[in-house]
Amino acid sequence: MTALTTERAPSVSSDDPRLKDRSTARTYLALVVLLAVAAVLPFVLDEQTETVAVRTLIFAIMAVGWNLMSGYGGMFSFGHAAFFGIGAYTDAYLLVEHGISPWIAMVVGASISAAAGTLIAFLCLRYRLAGAYFALATFAFAQVFLLVVQNLDFLRRTEGFNVPLLTENSWWMLQFEQGSHFYYWIPLAILGAGLLGTVAYVNSRSGQYVQAVRDDEVAAASLGINVMRVRLVAVAISCAFTSLAGAFYTQYYFFVGPEQAFGSAVSVNAIVPAVIGGIGTVFGPVVGAMVVGPLSEWIATVLREPPPFLEFLQGVTGLDVAVYAALLILIVLFMPKGIYGTLRDRFRS
Amino acid sequence: MKKVSLAAMLAAGTVALAACGSGSSGSGSDGDIMIGSVHPLTGALAGVGALMNDGAKLAVEDVNADGGIESLDGRKLTLGEGDSKGAADTGQSEAQRLISDGAVALVGTYQSDVTANVSAVAERSRVPLVIDVAVDDSILEQGYKNTFRIQPDATSMGADGADDLIALAEANGKPVETVSYIHIEGAFGQSVFDAFKEQAESQGVQVLKEVTYPGTNFTDATTQVREAAAGNPDVIVATGYYPDQLLVAQAVKALDPDIDALYGVANGAFDDGSFPNDAGAAGENVLSANYHYGATNDEVADIRKRFEAEFGRPMETASVLSYQAVMVIAQALEEAGSDDPEDVRDAIAEIEVEDPLLAFDGPITFDETGQNENATVIVMQTKKGKVEQVFPDEFTTSEPVYPAK
Repeated sequence: MTALTTERAPSVSSDDPRLKDRSTARTYLALVVLLAVAAVLPFVLDEQTETVAVRTLIFAIMAVGWNLMSGYGGMFSFGHAAFFGIGAYTDAYLLVEHGISPWIAMVVGASISAAAGTLIAFLCLRYRLAGAYFALATFAFAQVFLLVVQNLDFLRRTEGFNVPLLTENSWWMLQFEQGSHFYYWIPLAILGAGLLGTVAYVNSRSGQYVQAVRDDEVAAASLGINVMRVRLVAVAISCAFTSLAGAFYTQYYFFVGPEQAFGSAVSVNAIVPAVIGGIGTVFGPVVGAMVVGPLSEWIATVLREPPPFLEFLQGVTGLDVAVYAALLILIVLFMPKGIYGTLRDRFRS
Repeated sequence: MKKVSLAAMLAAGTVALAACGSGSSGSGSDGDIMIGSVHPLTGALAGVGALMNDGAKLAVEDVNADGGIESLDGRKLTLGEGDSKGAADTGQSEAQRLISDGAVALVGTYQSDVTANVSAVAERSRVPLVIDVAVDDSILEQGYKNTFRIQPDATSMGADGADDLIALAEANGKPVETVSYIHIEGAFGQSVFDAFKEQAESQGVQVLKEVTYPGTNFTDATTQVREAAAGNPDVIVATGYYPDQLLVAQAVKALDPDIDALYGVANGAFDDGSFPNDAGAAGENVLSANYHYGATNDEVADIRKRFEAEFGRPMETASVLSYQAVMVIAQALEEAGSDDPEDVRDAIAEIEVEDPLLAFDGPITFDETGQNENATVIVMQTKKGKVEQVFPDEFTTSEPVYPAK
């Protein structure tokens, strides 16, 4: 009585056009265009604006790193200063004490940072810290790093490191004359690599898994995903990348102390651009950095020589902080997915 | 499609931002000469930062009222005001902005870490930086040629503080044999202490205890004072910033150990104008070895009076130092007869500023590292709710009370 169907199950050949991932290709294309436009900016910016652009790039690198772990991985880190600081201090220590090239220091710093981040995240996840507790634990670890550095003689305690000045440009030592465009192009290249890497990662098996774990841990685990492992991979990549921002910071600013590297303000600098731009999106952190990075400079410039209708504001200090705070509140209220995230959803619907 | 157009939008946004940023131009060869000032005008240190900025502003006004820079046909000065926000990276970009706007010299910055950054900018741009306040020895240990400091560094304050204490006690017939030392953790407290200890021990004074406390979340100094007093020292010496050292003074008053004096070295509280009021009875007779404006100098009295009339707040020592720093640059411009930063730098290196506004050993002259050779500390004491200069004799506004019980 059993009726067997002889019909074959539908199958799709692997070169079927419907299987082509158009959206990823478009993202890559958009990225390349964006980077190309950004690369020519130094030719139109004056020197002062370029320093702001460099700071914006540093913000963006940190935010892209943070976004991998906290946006795609769903593990909210409030302690990314730890990894920025490891990058900054590894660079400073190896360069100042041993004359080692910053390029090598970047690799070393990224490795240490990845190891430290993995260990911290392992401990947090192993003991089932989630949400706010996870964030608090990462914050605590960053504070521990700050205190440890302040009390270690070989890291010069609270004194910090000065990068020795060279008399001529050196690629190997990553030092150029003040105002050199390389100080812009190098972090731009790092950022570009990070963004391309982000797209590749989130489309990879491991990246897909970690997003599945973020959305529903139990379901993901029951499908056979090794939850701990995919999460730790996201953390390691995130921490390693964030440390590059720290290493470049040291090279660009020539001085790094405990507060510049491990202060809690640094952690905030990694979070805010991503939140403003859009957590868990490729472009969000960059958009956020482009808002946050130049904001205070722009307001200060306006206030220095205000247009006639704003003349009463001349010489007022601290207004940028107020605008910054107001902007943050407005964005959280009206654009909970961040500027980019909200706009993208609106265009799609 | 949508993503591509978004990328284009982003790019357009970047360009628009870039356009907003550009603007102001440098000063021409016959316009005003700009001096850049970098201080914390927003954030936790905004109070003192504003005082220092105002001090520099007053100096510029005074130079201009006096006919500008005569050797440059009476050209006027103008102050480019930078806000470090208390952060090293912001301090650096502000310094770069001021230099690209045409500043011939910089003054600043109050904090050692910000100063470390700004001095690197100054060195790379070959524009002189005259430090008004920033204490760390390491700032001038980088071999920079464009950084000069008017105030004494941490090490010399520690050593001079020890000398003054020993001499003051000796002069009052109650020589010091033992001290205990309470200081804040970190480079500043540690380097002042190390220098004090070395100098004191070379003169046969024993340092019984070194007690340190953390710079953050410090709310009660009782434990530290009790520990310092445990060995029955003749004097308790203390180094730190305003809020923490106020606590130390209060704890000493509360525990009332059997000591001859509470003596601050490079102490952010004990000779501050608001200390007598904030500390009340605990402040009475507290001694403090620190750099200080010359209270016996008539010119200083005049400047401070005009400052208070114009800005409505008393001019603290830090602010006098900013004023002095601008005056050093003005004199260098005068002597160089040029507004080229490198000429100004050379003139500062050779300068001799007579009658400094601070209570120093002599004229302001810089050694090859850029440190003012005659910078030193004097001893002050809070008497009847007022900070008086009590030692050495040439600067005294009042007789010292010693033992200072």
